[in-house]
Amino acid sequence: MFALIDCNNFYAACERLFEPRLEGVPLGVLSNNDGCVIARSEEFKALDIPMGIPTHKIAPHLRRRIVLKSSNYTLYGDLSARVQQVLAQQVPTLEPYSIDECFLDLRGMREDWHALGAALVRSVQRQVGLPVSIGIAPTRTLAKLANRQAKTQPTRPQVCVWQSADAPELAAHLARLSPREVWGVGERLNARLAGMGIVTAAALRETPDSVLRRRFSVVLARTAAELNGQACLSMGDLETPRRSILCSRSFGQPLRDRASLAGALRHHCQRAGEKLRRDAMQASAIGVYMRTNPHHAGSFHQACEWAALPFPSADTQQLNRAAQRLLARLWQPAAYQKLGVMLTELTPRRQSQTTLFDGAEPARQEALMHAWDTIRARYGRQALTLGPQPADAPWQMNSAYRSACYTTRWDELPRARAR
Amino acid sequence: MPMTPIAPAASPTPASSEALSRGASGFPSPADDYREAPLDLHRHLVRRPASTFFMHLEGDAHRHAGLHHGDLLVIDRAISPRPGHWLVAVIDGELSVLRLERRQSRLYLAPSQPRLAALPFDPDDARLWGVICYVIHALPAEGEE
Repeated sequence: MFALIDCNNFYAACERLFEPRLEGVPLGVLSNNDGCVIARSEEFKALDIPMGIPTHKIAPHLRRRIVLKSSNYTLYGDLSARVQQVLAQQVPTLEPYSIDECFLDLRGMREDWHALGAALVRSVQRQVGLPVSIGIAPTRTLAKLANRQAKTQPTRPQVCVWQSADAPELAAHLARLSPREVWGVGERLNARLAGMGIVTAAALRETPDSVLRRRFSVVLARTAAELNGQACLSMGDLETPRRSILCSRSFGQPLRDRASLAGALRHHCQRAGEKLRRDAMQASAIGVYMRTNPHHAGSFHQACEWAALPFPSADTQQLNRAAQRLLARLWQPAAYQKLGVMLTELTPRRQSQTTLFDGAEPARQEALMHAWDTIRARYGRQALTLGPQPADAPWQMNSAYRSACYTTRWDELPRARAR
Repeated sequence: MPMTPIAPAASPTPASSEALSRGASGFPSPADDYREAPLDLHRHLVRRPASTFFMHLEGDAHRHAGLHHGDLLVIDRAISPRPGHWLVAVIDGELSVLRLERRQSRLYLAPSQPRLAALPFDPDDARLWGVICYVIHALPAEGEE
């Protein structure tokens, strides 16, 4: 079995944890440089202010009723790491998927899944103070759908378990669900499926494997198999294009020294940058995840941290600089078995927000990245690789309404009133 | 499963043992067998990094109990509240510090400010934020050399 744990309205929940007066208030979180709304509380959604709306386009009468916060990735990253840490105390294998989502590999465990799910939700709520929901099912693809289903439950804890792919409630759910809602099925794929009369997830999983392989791809055939309860997709196989990108790999030999890890990280940044540019996207935040082998004797170490990029970027060099800084902070003398890079808050390239520094530099970098991709495509991936990067001064960001870094800076700790 | 802290203030790694244990001549020090890791106050005060948070106390209402304005509070959300504990609770939308008391078998959040009334409290109270396990108070010599 697999589980997907997702923090409900994560950014808004992080803000409210240290500013409880924001509870029940329509709360929106802004992108880098305060350009547009990237996260909304339930109350904010109820006002019908759409996701992605530029900050200056919010009508004045609505503007008065809402609270806006600049994004605070330092805070969100710290709380995200705490959520993972709490989960890691209770389940053996956890795979961070984005800043607010985490897959749990529960294979080999025999549990009352409802009880386990409820216990995990409760312990995250209690120990970190963030509301989460959990979906548990035989495959990652189904777990993701189960999680979505859990979020619609009015009662807490929000847990949805599909014991097997044949569960009648699952079959009924898939019969009502568009293939578009399934992990890895994009807009274009959905349109092609519709052209063949495949308009529900149930129809997708009943389509013969050979047909999907011949007319679409192996990946879609695997997705259908996952809907039928056969776990055959790993995390790297699929990303939802809009939300996040993950590049990670286990090492053949455990890596101890920082230089080798830095090299591996450069490699992942290269791939992550290429994926971004391939999809014409740019990322706002980057995370680095590393762990030792959980099955070996000795102490297990895993760590994950996030940082905001100075501005949304698809530039490999930019990604690598941020990732190397995170590595320097996370590294401990241990035998690492896995290292990964995660990118989140992806937006289409053309909606780029300009900063003071955006003049000639990005155009040149874009040309450089284009040349980079062309050379690597033509002469092979080894023809050109990313060398060591000098650390650069971090760019100053515009974040007028940023909350304090409540958990990472001594001079920004929250204050509690003596009553 | 043994865990090292992930993000929050990981303890500083002790200096390389190799460098410490060998003198200039390269012979191992006879003290090697007796060496232990230095005391790490952070690890002592922060047993569960994932659920431990720091705050500053605002106001002198609890001065009689030894909690002063500006003191550093170490809060562990994993601790279950019991009578006699000092809690951070959300009162009127504000992070607040009160003592949990039992009076005639009922639990109350007991304020020190005389104008405030005690608030009935139940074990799953949504107002609970966390239990304070340490208070760090600076004395006049703080920061001097």
